[in-house]
Amino acid sequence: MTLSTMLHTMSAGMLRTCGIFILTLIGSLPLGMIVALLRKSRFALVRGIVRVYISIIRGTPLMLQLLVWYFGPFYLFNWNIGSWRFPALIIGFVVNYAAYFAEIYRGGIESIPVGQHEAAEVLGFTKTQTFMRIILPQVIKTILPSVTNEVITLVKDTSLAFTLAYQEVFSLSKQISASQSSFMPFLIAGIFYFIANYVVAFIMERIEKAMNYYK
Amino acid sequence: MILEMNHIEKHFGDLEVLKDISFGVDSGEVVSIIGPSGSGKSTLLRCATFLETIDGGEIIYMGDKAAHMNDQGQAVYVSHQELRRFRSYYGLVFQQFNLFPHYSVLKNLTDAPIHVQHRDRSEAEETAMELLGKMGLADRADAYPYQLSGGQQQRVAIARALAMKPQILFFDEPTSALDPELTGEVLNVIRQLAEEKMTMVVVTHEMSFAKAVSNRVIFMDGGLIVEQGDPAEVFDHPKEDRTKQFLRVFER
Ligand SMILES: Nc1ncnc2c1ncn2[C@@H]1O[C@H](COP(=O)(O)OP(=O)(O)OP(=O)(O)O)[C@@H](O)[C@H]1O
Ligand SMILES: [Mg+2]
Repeated sequence: MTLSTMLHTMSAGMLRTCGIFILTLIGSLPLGMIVALLRKSRFALVRGIVRVYISIIRGTPLMLQLLVWYFGPFYLFNWNIGSWRFPALIIGFVVNYAAYFAEIYRGGIESIPVGQHEAAEVLGFTKTQTFMRIILPQVIKTILPSVTNEVITLVKDTSLAFTLAYQEVFSLSKQISASQSSFMPFLIAGIFYFIANYVVAFIMERIEKAMNYYK
Repeated sequence: MILEMNHIEKHFGDLEVLKDISFGVDSGEVVSIIGPSGSGKSTLLRCATFLETIDGGEIIYMGDKAAHMNDQGQAVYVSHQELRRFRSYYGLVFQQFNLFPHYSVLKNLTDAPIHVQHRDRSEAEETAMELLGKMGLADRADAYPYQLSGGQQQRVAIARALAMKPQILFFDEPTSALDPELTGEVLNVIRQLAEEKMTMVVVTHEMSFAKAVSNRVIFMDGGLIVEQGDPAEVFDHPKEDRTKQFLRVFER
């Protein structure tokens, strides 16, 4: 196998890795906010459920969670899981990352001084307006560094998709390396992850800079 | 009467913070509230602005009852929805300013008029610029709060409250968070508002200011109004021993 065919084969994996990455962010960034808000719900039962969910997600390996999402329907309900691999993978990632983002959001929301809520309330803003106009923009600024960390972790975590034998770049590099007895695929994968994280860091830094217009 | 608060009672757990407080504020009146720390001054303002709910008594703005007393003397508020109507009657200036840091000065002044009162943007901006001019801050409209001194921030906060065109403005120790050399600029603004007959209730530790600017002084201690009246009377010839004692501490 020449280097260019190797690169060509692996580029399909790179695309799949990017797919996991982007779909996970699209799902988990908003879902995390919903979880963070439910965590402060008026209803104790809702708060309890959310807390259990977060502690299970944080207390068990993502790899195990992926296996449960994938094989669970089969063992529990005897479903045919033939085309379930990719959905299970994305659900596993989204549900996992939403829990971590929820904790980040919660910390961010709690860090906003109560005076901001009170000033908005006295001015007559509704609860929703207060959150969307006053609180959330400030939360986003304060949590950006933690979100960056989490997103960089996600780039690397996408490799856990190999658990479900999903052919993303890490799985492919292992396979090609074994079949071709070559170290090259690992090197390519390593460079790919490194560049991906470099791009993530670059973009996040730009966003952070864009929010530096106030303190 | 702009505001009437009758037989107000408020407790936090077992702690009775307001015990049967009654007072009214007439249009154009400037009322100062003084008293030792913990006497319930902030709590009273927070009850008047619905940041805290009262346990007993009634709150009436412009003859419109926000909370009335039932047969047991407990306070019963109008519905959450109706309460919104009352928010346009008053403004509150906080000790810590509480400006919105992510908004420019101008947006701090226009956001609520536009999105709460649904006023026209250009009209809201015009009003805001007028107010900033009055505060001596016309050239800082595009600045962000962090770029301003404490005194400037507090003047923006006053302008933000005025931009809602309230009937009455409450101040909770508006100069306590400021360096001594910056208190003057804020007090001057309040003095100017008093001359324009803005109705105001000011909780303050600035005794000479209270004496010079207000039409009436209320001295609170232990959740009660101990004494109230003409500032010259209360400051120079206090009737109650507790008032005398409090003012003596201040003279030193
Ligand atoms: N949210 C709260 N929960 C419990 N106790 C409170 C709360 N807010 C105020 N208190 C208590 O109520 C009492 C009155 O407080 P308040 O802040 O109204 O006093 P104040 O007259 O404004 O004092 P200061 O001059 O120090 O500002 C104090 O004993 C205070 O500890
Ligand atoms: Mg106080």
